[in-house]
Amino acid sequence: MEQLYIYSEKPLFALCYPQICRHCCYCNVLLVERISIRTGKLRPGDVVILRSPQTPRKIICKRLIGMEGDQVTYVVDPKNSDRCKTIVVPKGHVWVEGDYIYDSKDSRNFGAVPYGLLEGRAFWTLLPRKDFGSLAPKPKS
Amino acid sequence: MRQWRSIAREAVAQVSIVVKFLSFLHVTDSYLFSFTHVLGPSMLPTLNINGDVVLVEHLSHRIGKVGAGDLVLVRSPLDPRKTLTKRILAVEGDKVTFCLDPPRDPTRDYRSRSLVVPKGHVWIQGDNWYASTDSRHFGPVPYGLIQGKVFLRVWPPNSFGSLGQ
Repeated sequence: MEQLYIYSEKPLFALCYPQICRHCCYCNVLLVERISIRTGKLRPGDVVILRSPQTPRKIICKRLIGMEGDQVTYVVDPKNSDRCKTIVVPKGHVWVEGDYIYDSKDSRNFGAVPYGLLEGRAFWTLLPRKDFGSLAPKPKS
Repeated sequence: MRQWRSIAREAVAQVSIVVKFLSFLHVTDSYLFSFTHVLGPSMLPTLNINGDVVLVEHLSHRIGKVGAGDLVLVRSPLDPRKTLTKRILAVEGDKVTFCLDPPRDPTRDYRSRSLVVPKGHVWIQGDNWYASTDSRHFGPVPYGLIQGKVFLRVWPPNSFGSLGQ
């Protein structure tokens, strides 16, 4: 347990569109641990924070969907169609996706992410008070 | 009783000195400078095949001052436990033309491909193209994988000096 990351980007389970109502985005304070990353004990379904491959100064928070060698099926463009695509995650990479796939820039946009970009695993929510507790597993759509 | 208290106080003082020193060492090693042993044939003739000890600084890549021509330590995109030493040839937005197998006849470049390095990525290549696994094989790497910039060779002593462009 090393650091507290405070980020003010789109919350994990939001239903509001940030472009329409920016004030809907509130801050989540999560407790993040770095030991799982170093020992490699991550599993699909974990919420991880990683350095964005497109903007190296930004830290983003997504859910781990597939490790190297896994087969991942994802919806390419959920707003416009139901077309799915299946890929195999290449060696040394992971596949991350946001929970709200309609408005998330994740591996569906920038591809599988090298494992070296992962910074930590989020396991506990501190704020807001009503969400205090361990992070929920992925909601079934 | 008083004796034990003074012994305990002295023990805590000594331990705190050691802890402070180790913390200082850790902060310097992670965020400022560190010594790294690099070996392999992929950076000949710049770096020796048997291994060199180099001084790496961890400041430039955090402020974005790492660019084309710099020798950098990069975490391998294929195996996150390995760290590679390569040279940055191109940054985001640059066009890169490369051949996978360097041809014997330089006037004929069959199998030559070019691409534009995407946003947030860099193109790394070893100086020894014939024995290097680099961006020609695994593509451009995200800037976030850069761990530090190599700037000084410390060992062997007869080739002590800065490693520039």
